[in-house]
Amino acid sequence: MKTRSLLLAFSLTTAGLAFGQTSQTVATKASGKTGDKTYTPPKTAWGDPDLQGVYTTDDLNGVPLQRAAKYGTRRFLTEQELADRAKDVNELESTVQTGDRPTKGFWASQKGVDAAAVPAQWVEFAKHASQLTSLVVDPPDGQIPALTREGEKRRAAAPNYFDMRPASWEDLSTYDRCITRGVTGSFFPSIYGNGAQIFQAPGLVAIRYEMIHETRLIPLEGRAHTGPGLRSYMGDPRGHWENNTLVVETTNFIGGKVAVGGVPYSEDLKLTERFTRVAPDVVDYRVTIDDPKTFTAPWTVEFPIRHETGYQIFEYACHEGNKAMHNRLSAARALEKGDAEKAAKTSEQK
Amino acid sequence: MSTANWDLQDHPAEGGPFFQLGAVGAIPSGQGVVEGGVIPYKPEALQQKQENSKNRWKADPELKCYMAGIPRANYMPYPFQIVQTPKSILMAYEYASANRVINMDKTPVEASVDTWMGTANGHWEGATLVVDNTGFNDQSWFDRAGDFHSDQLHVTERFKLLDADHMSYQASIEDPQVFTRPWNINLVLYRHIEKNAQLTEFKCVEFAEELLYGDVRKKTK
Repeated sequence: MKTRSLLLAFSLTTAGLAFGQTSQTVATKASGKTGDKTYTPPKTAWGDPDLQGVYTTDDLNGVPLQRAAKYGTRRFLTEQELADRAKDVNELESTVQTGDRPTKGFWASQKGVDAAAVPAQWVEFAKHASQLTSLVVDPPDGQIPALTREGEKRRAAAPNYFDMRPASWEDLSTYDRCITRGVTGSFFPSIYGNGAQIFQAPGLVAIRYEMIHETRLIPLEGRAHTGPGLRSYMGDPRGHWENNTLVVETTNFIGGKVAVGGVPYSEDLKLTERFTRVAPDVVDYRVTIDDPKTFTAPWTVEFPIRHETGYQIFEYACHEGNKAMHNRLSAARALEKGDAEKAAKTSEQK
Repeated sequence: MSTANWDLQDHPAEGGPFFQLGAVGAIPSGQGVVEGGVIPYKPEALQQKQENSKNRWKADPELKCYMAGIPRANYMPYPFQIVQTPKSILMAYEYASANRVINMDKTPVEASVDTWMGTANGHWEGATLVVDNTGFNDQSWFDRAGDFHSDQLHVTERFKLLDADHMSYQASIEDPQVFTRPWNINLVLYRHIEKNAQLTEFKCVEFAEELLYGDVRKKTK
C-alpha cells in the first residue's frame, strides 16, 4: 500500500501534509505489545466503555504487513532488534534536516522511480518504534494465507502502480483516484495522514479517518444489515460491545475494486474488527479478514493505535488536489505519441 | 428538502442542459432563502456571479465532486448526520464523504491552513448551537447558480431545534471582498424519521472522472 501512495503523495497539493518531527524516537514496548488487558477504561455518561479521542498509527510506519521469514512465529522484536529499528527511524528523521534522499525503509523500495521519490519531510515517522515483527498476527507465521484461484486472477488483473501507460483512470487504483482506500486501507499505517478520530453517542460509534476523509457511522442498537442490493466501498457496519471491546462487523462491500493485502477483495468480504482500550492513550485494534472467494482461510491483523498529544487531523482534500491523475494520463499519451513518431521516422528511413 | 442548492435566491423552473433528460433533468422552481431576497454583491463581484451563472454547467465545483464547503453542505440534496459529544460535534455528509468537526472546547482552534470545509468553533447560546467558521479557500460555491465567495469568507451558523424532528438553520455570511454587508440565509432542516435511516455512500469521484480526465484518456480506434 505504501508504494501506491507515492505518485499521489508527490503531486497532491493538499493541506494535509504534516512535517516530520525531529524529536528522538523512543523505543517502547507499549507501542508494540498490546498492553494490559485487565486495564479498566473510563465509561461514557451513558455507561459504554469510552474509546473517544484522536489516534494515529504513525508508530507502525515501517512495520511490514507480512512477517520476514527470519522471525518465524515470533511476534515481537528482541530488545536489540527494537533498538536497531529505533535507530533506523532516527536516521530517517535526521535526513529531513540534511535534505538527503533516505536510503532506507520506504525509499529503498523505490528503485527506478527516482523522479517520484517523496522528500523525507513529507513523511510521518514513529515517535515510539514498534516492537511488532508484522501486522499480520494470525496465521501465527504472520503470512497472508494462500489465495484462491479467483483471488490469484483478481490480483493479476489489479491496477499496477508501476504502470507508466495507463489508458484511463480505470487502470489506476481507487487510492490513486482518491475514491477510497477501503476500511482496512484507511486504518493500516501509511506514509502520512495516519490519523483517526473516534466519537461516541448513545447507540452509535463514529470513526473518522484522516486520509481520503472517510467517516464510518456504526449503529450499536442491533438493527439488521441493509439488503444485498445496497453495496458500498466502506461497507455496512454494525457494532456491539463485548465487555470492554467494541466489536464491528462489516459486510455489503463492492467487490473487485479495493485491495487488502495487495489483492482486490470480493463482494463477500466480511470484516470483524475489535477495538479495546488497553491504556489511557492506547487502543488495541484487531481485524479479521474473511473472504472465502479470495483467501483460502481468514486472517487477522492486530496493532495498537496511540493518542499522540498534539496530533492534529487535517482536511485531506485528496480528489480536489489530485493533479497526479491528469499528469499520469497525459504523460502516458506523450509517451505513446513519442513512440508513434519514432516508428514513423524509422519506416521513412527504410 | 429545499431547492436552495439550485439557487439561494428566488428562481423559476427551467429546462435542463440536456433535452434528452426531459423533465428528469429540469430545474425545479423555489422560493429564495436569503433574508431580504437579494445577495448584496459588490458591483464587480455581481459581474463574476453572472459569469459563473452562465458557466454553471462547466464551473460549478459540484460537477467535479469537490467538497461543498459551508453552508452549502447543509442544504445539498443529500443527508448528513450529527454526532454530538461535549468536546466536539461531528457532522458527516453523504455527498463526497465529506465531514467536519466543530470544536466545542472553550479554547478556540485557529485555522492553520485554508480548507474546503473550513475551521469550526462552536458554543451554546441557550438551546442554539452557534458555529463560527473561518479558514475557507475561495474554491467552493454557495449553489448551482454561481453564488460565490473569496477566502475572506466568515460564516456564523445557528442551529436550533423547533421540535423533535425539525431544526431551524441560519447562516450569516460575511465576506468584505465580495459583499457590501453581511447577509443571512434561513431554512429548515428535516430529520429523517425512518426507522432504518442511515447515511449511505455517495463517493462521486467516479462520476466526474470522464469530465475531468477524458481529454487524456487513450483514444480507442
